[in-house]
Amino acid sequence: MLNKSKMIAMLSLSLAMSWGALAEETLKIGAPQPMTGPDAPFGDKFKKAYSMAVDEINAAGGVNGRKIEVILEDHQAKNPLAATVAEKLITQEKVLVLTGGRASGQAVEIASVAQRLKTPYMVDHPSADVITAKGFEWVFRNNPTGSIYPVAFNKFISEVPDAMPKSAAVIYDNTVFGKTIANSVMTFLKSKNVPIVSDEAYAVNSLDFKPIMTKVKSSNPDYVLLIAVSTTDAILMTRHAKEMGVTPRAFVGYGGGFGVVDFATQLGGLADNVYSSAAWSGNPNNALTAEFYKKFKTKYGFLPKEHEVEGYSAIYIIADALKRAKLTGNLETDREAVRQALLETDMVTVFGKVKFGNWVGPLGDQYTNQNIYSPDHSVLAQWRGGELLNVWPKANAETAYIFPEKTVTR
Amino acid sequence: METLVQSVVSGVLTGSLYAMIAVGLTIVFGVMRIINLAHGEMVMLGMFGAYWSHTLLGLDPFLSIVIWAPVMFGAGMLIHRFLLREVIPKGELNTLLYTAGLSLLIANLALFLWTGDYRTLSLSYAVMPARPFGIAIPIPLAIAFFMAIAISTGLYLLLTRSDVGRAIRATAQNPESAALMGVNVQRIDMITFGLGTALAAAGGVLLVPSLYLFPTVGEILIVKCFVIVVLGGLGSVPGAIAGGVLLGLVESLGAVYVSVAYKDTIGFVLFLLVLLFRPAGLFGVGRS
Amino acid sequence: MTRLPAAVGVVILLAAPLLTNNSFFQHLMIMVLFWTLLGASWNLIGGFGGQVSFGHATFLGIGAYVTMVFYLSLGLSPWLGMLAGGIIGALFALPIGLICFRLRGPYFSLATLAVAEIVRLVALNWEQLTAGPMGLLITTLPPISFGSMTVNWESKLPFYYLAVALAFFAMGLTYVVSRSRLGAYLMAVREDIDCAEAAGIDTVRTRVVALVMSAFVVGLAGGFYSLYFRYVDPDAVFAISLSVEMVFIAVVGGLATTLGPIVGAVVLVTISEIFRERFQAGHLIFYGLFMMVVIRYMPEGIWGRLRLLLGRNG
Repeated sequence: MLNKSKMIAMLSLSLAMSWGALAEETLKIGAPQPMTGPDAPFGDKFKKAYSMAVDEINAAGGVNGRKIEVILEDHQAKNPLAATVAEKLITQEKVLVLTGGRASGQAVEIASVAQRLKTPYMVDHPSADVITAKGFEWVFRNNPTGSIYPVAFNKFISEVPDAMPKSAAVIYDNTVFGKTIANSVMTFLKSKNVPIVSDEAYAVNSLDFKPIMTKVKSSNPDYVLLIAVSTTDAILMTRHAKEMGVTPRAFVGYGGGFGVVDFATQLGGLADNVYSSAAWSGNPNNALTAEFYKKFKTKYGFLPKEHEVEGYSAIYIIADALKRAKLTGNLETDREAVRQALLETDMVTVFGKVKFGNWVGPLGDQYTNQNIYSPDHSVLAQWRGGELLNVWPKANAETAYIFPEKTVTR
Repeated sequence: METLVQSVVSGVLTGSLYAMIAVGLTIVFGVMRIINLAHGEMVMLGMFGAYWSHTLLGLDPFLSIVIWAPVMFGAGMLIHRFLLREVIPKGELNTLLYTAGLSLLIANLALFLWTGDYRTLSLSYAVMPARPFGIAIPIPLAIAFFMAIAISTGLYLLLTRSDVGRAIRATAQNPESAALMGVNVQRIDMITFGLGTALAAAGGVLLVPSLYLFPTVGEILIVKCFVIVVLGGLGSVPGAIAGGVLLGLVESLGAVYVSVAYKDTIGFVLFLLVLLFRPAGLFGVGRS
Repeated sequence: MTRLPAAVGVVILLAAPLLTNNSFFQHLMIMVLFWTLLGASWNLIGGFGGQVSFGHATFLGIGAYVTMVFYLSLGLSPWLGMLAGGIIGALFALPIGLICFRLRGPYFSLATLAVAEIVRLVALNWEQLTAGPMGLLITTLPPISFGSMTVNWESKLPFYYLAVALAFFAMGLTYVVSRSRLGAYLMAVREDIDCAEAAGIDTVRTRVVALVMSAFVVGLAGGFYSLYFRYVDPDAVFAISLSVEMVFIAVVGGLATTLGPIVGAVVLVTISEIFRERFQAGHLIFYGLFMMVVIRYMPEGIWGRLRLLLGRNG
């Protein structure tokens, strides 16, 4: 016969144990990324960004007293593997929410899996429009879609006097990224009756852009718009364009490669005055951004750019949702709760403002759960003396733009 | 008109570099009748060698050929002696697959050691191109072109004037007869493989200032090499040189006058056509 | 005597996915079956016929795209789409074979590579048909029922059994061919094509028939890929790396054997997963190394060596 004190002792013990268990149980976030293979450098950027965010949040007490954890899985930049590891994270690791993906092909697979297995997927970087254009209610995206990248540029040429191109050459890589942006750019230009004198798709990681640039030169474009998913393509394209003597009033680059430090260090003076119309150029005048730069540089030794900001912000967005979600321990209902919480997101991150909504994109895609502030994230920046400075819209500008291009000599 | 001239000049210059890379492959085939699928990786190693000696020691890549060509010559001989020699007698198929495995191994080891980061090598004296008569000629490309000519001349002299060269040509023509004439065929095979590797590495060194490098670049280059050696005739050195220049021209003119998107397809179709209808190469100097 | 182990093996195979709740493990089993299927079909032309094709991904891609396009544009059930993928892949094999088989040895291999690249580039650029680099995505699979049971597409089980059926089909085909006249002709061609010709064998027809069969099965596998992964883009299904991996599976497992591909698939899938998971280092390093070791010391493949050791000739 159990006496009262023993009962109390047992109850307390079991309570303490389960309390301990609850307190120890971390909130899991799954992140498929390329950790090996040619895309690994990108996966590494996200790994660093995620871990910085996780450390900060946990040090500040976690989410409602519980720690968060990011579980990375390597998908080697292969679509089938991305689907596989997403499933693994959902069914084996039992994560509450997914993020990551990196490249659009893999992200499409992950989104498809997340939708089928009813797990929220908060997209941080992949830009293919289709990811949030299929009506997937479990998929959310913070970063702009590919078709939104050119928005700042479009505003620039519409608002600055005499900036509307008299003709344009559009050169893009034959990937989801390149084609989406090219479509978006050309649709806008056509709507303004700008003739596209050169429309060239190249194979990504082309070794030689001289033939293309020779062709572009002969079409004598007023503006040259370069789209590259690969950094080295961005650098090589620009170099070969200038070497071949292409002299437009402006060079505009779309793609991460046009915004990284390598662009300026490899091209030196050739990089000057090239514009970059991207998802995020980071205004150091913004207090949040400056602080983030400093923290990141101190911790990892290099300045962060687009990828790191996106990864870092994603974790904060997810943590915010986790805080508001009513978690009961039942995986299915918890995931639904997180999804509901994401739907109600309304906050500011280092990346910018975020609120998810359903609206129509520049190419007519019906978006579901796409950040409604995405068009505002598109900023036009220009390279000046080795630094990338925002020039448009005026509200974000760090310096006045230089236009037309003066440094290219015939 | 200017576009045409520019296209042709660019095509010839780039093509000469392609030719450099392909010559090694064709020599190895000519003498040993094997297709070395790891050849692209040899080029890649040469590229990385030049990159590291430039980045870490400040050595001009064009000068570093003097280091890397002999080093890779040695490496090639070692690979032959310890890896390939046992496998070649097992037949063409097995050797092909073996070199495929070797290619994977080297490329992925490089990926593991040096990460997939793309790197470019910038030379201070090579930022803007020369512009004789308004035609843009990038300086590193021009230097590489002249060096390629020098190397080819050296190779020609080696093959025609030296004993080793004569032995190589004899073995290429007929290994049994060469053996009967006193040529140590195994030794010549080893030397030839070393030579092919050294040429590949030299080609890589010449390429790297004009291009960018990453560990898996070998995959793309080996495909180009195949097209070149088939066009020029397997086993023929002058064929490989002509084939390289031709490919450079086809790519350059194809991009400008046909279509950028399909320019690679043109190369492959040409490749298939030559394989089918002129297996001895466009110039009829290849062997089968 | 050999029937009992075989029967036991089959029972285990059929029961395996039911023994575990771990859907990731089930996925690994499906991948093993998928690669077995591919390796076995490559073996028909590569192992038995000695024609080393580095372009088999062509048929995989064709099968995958046919299934996708027929389903998305014509509403054709993916089952029939898969079959169509196999048939159209086989149809492509005819001209490809007729063109490439005029060449021998390494020339043939290079030609298959060129063909594969051309098809990939066409798929990448012919957007009206394939949506180019955007790829094609299936969001729902059509409901299918057997009597009163509707197939649950969210579970791995239907895919597992489908994969088992396909893998068995491929291996069965291999077995039948290896014992048939076609098989004898193929091996004659492999050993010495001139002798075979001299003996009166129509070597072109022999090889083309084998290629067509091989392409049919690989095309079916392509259809399976579409159904299972639901997203197809040119780099996922036409990549040279896929073709090369098929070759590896057959070579490492055992060229010209019926069961070799299973062994090859098990070994390579296990290794790649361990490497990916534990060491986070490129498992491809290991693939390359293993390939070299096998060719040098065990050119008959793992299963081939096992068979020798067990003293059987199956």
